[in-house]
Amino acid sequence: MGNVIKKLVIGLVVGGALWGITKALEFPTVFQMLFFAYAILGAAVFILLDAPSLKPLNGVKALGALLVFYIVLCVVYIAGASLWPQYDPEDEKGKIDKILKPKRAATEQGKAEELLARAKALDEQAKALAARIKALGGDQAPGAQASGGAGAPPSTTGAAGGDILKIGEDQWQLQECYNCHKLRGEGGKKRGPELDNIGSYLTVDDIKQKILDPKSWMAEGFEKEYEKGKMPDKYKDLMEENDVIALASWLVTFKNPSVNTPKPIKKK
Amino acid sequence: MNTWQRGLLALCAILALFGGAAYAQTPGAPPVEFPYTGNRTAVWIVAQLHILFAAFILGAPIFVVISEWLGYRKHDPRYDRLAKEVMKVTVILYSMTALTGGLFIFVLLATYPQFTTWLINHFFLVFAVVYPLLFIGETILLYLYFYSWDAWKGEKKARHIALGVLLNLIGTITLFVIDGPTSFMNTPVKAEGVSPAEFLATATLWDKIYNYSWMPMNLHRLVGNVTFGGFITGLVAAYMYMAAKKEDERAYYDWMGFVGNLIGVGALLFLPFMGYLLAYELCDYDASICPYMMADQLSMFFEMQGAMVGLLFLASNYYIWLSMKRIEGVERVRMTIFAPLVMVALPFVMTYGWTIFPVPDPRSLAILVPLALLPVVLGRLIPLTVSSRTIIKVGFLMVVIGDAIWLTPHGFVPTGAKLVAELELPSDWNFLALMPAKNSAAFTLVFVTVVNYIIYNRAIGQGTIVWGKIDFVSQFVLVFLAFTSIWTMGLMGAVRSLLRKYFHTYNLLPDFTAESFTPTLSYSAWWITAITVAFYVVVSFAIFVTLRPTEAKGHAPEGSPAPAGAK
Repeated sequence: MGNVIKKLVIGLVVGGALWGITKALEFPTVFQMLFFAYAILGAAVFILLDAPSLKPLNGVKALGALLVFYIVLCVVYIAGASLWPQYDPEDEKGKIDKILKPKRAATEQGKAEELLARAKALDEQAKALAARIKALGGDQAPGAQASGGAGAPPSTTGAAGGDILKIGEDQWQLQECYNCHKLRGEGGKKRGPELDNIGSYLTVDDIKQKILDPKSWMAEGFEKEYEKGKMPDKYKDLMEENDVIALASWLVTFKNPSVNTPKPIKKK
Repeated sequence: MNTWQRGLLALCAILALFGGAAYAQTPGAPPVEFPYTGNRTAVWIVAQLHILFAAFILGAPIFVVISEWLGYRKHDPRYDRLAKEVMKVTVILYSMTALTGGLFIFVLLATYPQFTTWLINHFFLVFAVVYPLLFIGETILLYLYFYSWDAWKGEKKARHIALGVLLNLIGTITLFVIDGPTSFMNTPVKAEGVSPAEFLATATLWDKIYNYSWMPMNLHRLVGNVTFGGFITGLVAAYMYMAAKKEDERAYYDWMGFVGNLIGVGALLFLPFMGYLLAYELCDYDASICPYMMADQLSMFFEMQGAMVGLLFLASNYYIWLSMKRIEGVERVRMTIFAPLVMVALPFVMTYGWTIFPVPDPRSLAILVPLALLPVVLGRLIPLTVSSRTIIKVGFLMVVIGDAIWLTPHGFVPTGAKLVAELELPSDWNFLALMPAKNSAAFTLVFVTVVNYIIYNRAIGQGTIVWGKIDFVSQFVLVFLAFTSIWTMGLMGAVRSLLRKYFHTYNLLPDFTAESFTPTLSYSAWWITAITVAFYVVVSFAIFVTLRPTEAKGHAPEGSPAPAGAK
């Protein structure tokens, strides 16, 4: 027992020291707690190393001990996993809905087009039938709804509504560009260049080209062979053209010369 | 389990398989809605169970045949007995693999009929011809191998071992073949400047199989299966040790537990690097996968993985420690002082070195290799030694430190988007959360374990091992290792599947259902635990029905593994 207390005290002292050092180094409290926990884990390991031998168990006692052991493991693993910060799926659901909406619509549109084609074929059959009835002398064939092309689709030219810059910003979030690029001091892990001054170097068309063909432009300092393929070559398939233009239009507004955005070099 | 019982299980598997296929042929059949779990979780449960059984039946025969060969070479009947007992359990679990495999297809067809049909169409030759033929071939070989055990002994033992090698060859090819469609879902074929759908239309079957993550996944699964098989062997040994009533039985199962753990840990040493290779290829395929894994939605899954791997290394080294305690004369074993010195220096020097020369850079090895070999070289020149007990204790300290480095996150947030200063590492210490530090932590765990096994080996050479007298708590360590390795496998399996994000096949076939989001770690942990428990119940049952009657009837004398001419 004295051995256990001794190691526990050492663990507490080391943990306390780590707490104090990390506090002095301005680690957030949660990290101070984590380092303290590491020290306690270390103490537990060393207590276990010198623990007295366990007497052999048989029969029902062994079975009971096993069951209890399994229950403890299940509880510890579930509780351990639940203690970590949990991602909220609701954050993602909205994004996924927005990203997949055009693709889903495309799928439904495909079905709708098929239905329209079938309706058109039926219509032609009906017209042919009406013509045959008329040829046989019947004058009661229904008149074609030919009163002046009423079926023309409404114009979509005025439907461009909405703020294109807002759509561009939305796309920045939806495509999670912030994972690699820093902008307005947020996001980025140095995987890609900081973009606060990108508008000073590139036009909307240039940025669009870069998004659709990532190797068309390379930023200075990102030219190593293993960095060339870092930007995924997938946005041409994932994004609608209008969304790419909106994103490029939004990015081109960033012209902050105080941020050292590396100069892009045209490669294609 | 009798032959008719195995046949009944196989029949159920076939019924499930063809029933599922027949159901999917029903015109206009809407997808089934699984109550409570939802469709995605239902597929997850069945797929994970199938993978666990499959991993064992593919991994166990690898070391079974090695064990049989060792028995033959060393004239030690214990190896032959171990091989045969593990094979008995494997045969039962083979039926469960077929059953869960059939069930998997049934559930997949019922819940995602369009996607399943699409995938089958792309890999028709694999699903309709190659895989069934391999499966049938493996079934024949497995049963032939098992049932010819006693008949092909003595002079015919070499023939039996050759059959085992052939079984493993077919098993490995089966694994590689089915990894084709599985890895394709993560990293479908692509070419620069061409849309994935267009390229897919012109791609050959080999193009689809030989995708970015195929070979890394093959290697990762192959090594993982051996690890898993080793730890399950340890579990078998622990159960039997607890149930043993005679000293000789206890001695045998003590030895079996040690061998199972040795195999498990031996393969485990390679696993972090195989996992790293797989992750590297995934990130190379699409760099956006990397932050999704390590910094965003799945970052906490990797924290949990760090905790689990740390526990596995702690437990396996603890088992060595317990094993050492029952070796008479262990106190005489000493080792060069440079071994613990390198242990202590390793995480710090490597983190610094690999920050300057990141891993793809060959210069990274210029730091690692000399450092790892330092105890061997300097140990010969400077004869300063320390006791094995001290080295192992320093090793434990470094395992804790290594695990601490592995576990320390960049921020205590589930996604990078929610990072605030109060939850983030200070910028000067951010290196603790970067890959060089994580790699050095993994290497420290591996280095310490290797040193401990070298010490153990010396202890066996210099002292006398007393089998059957190991601390009883070691049996719980073996149970713990098996449970934890299965749990970790479930966790990483979930991660690999979730990497497809909201796609059935990444960037190609979107999942339009409402379930295509990333679940929480807590939710995942519940299901991973449930799957692990379900698997454990079946494995425990398999061990009970196969090995208990043998003990009750008294163990039959082992077939002599030695060739007749050698006697």
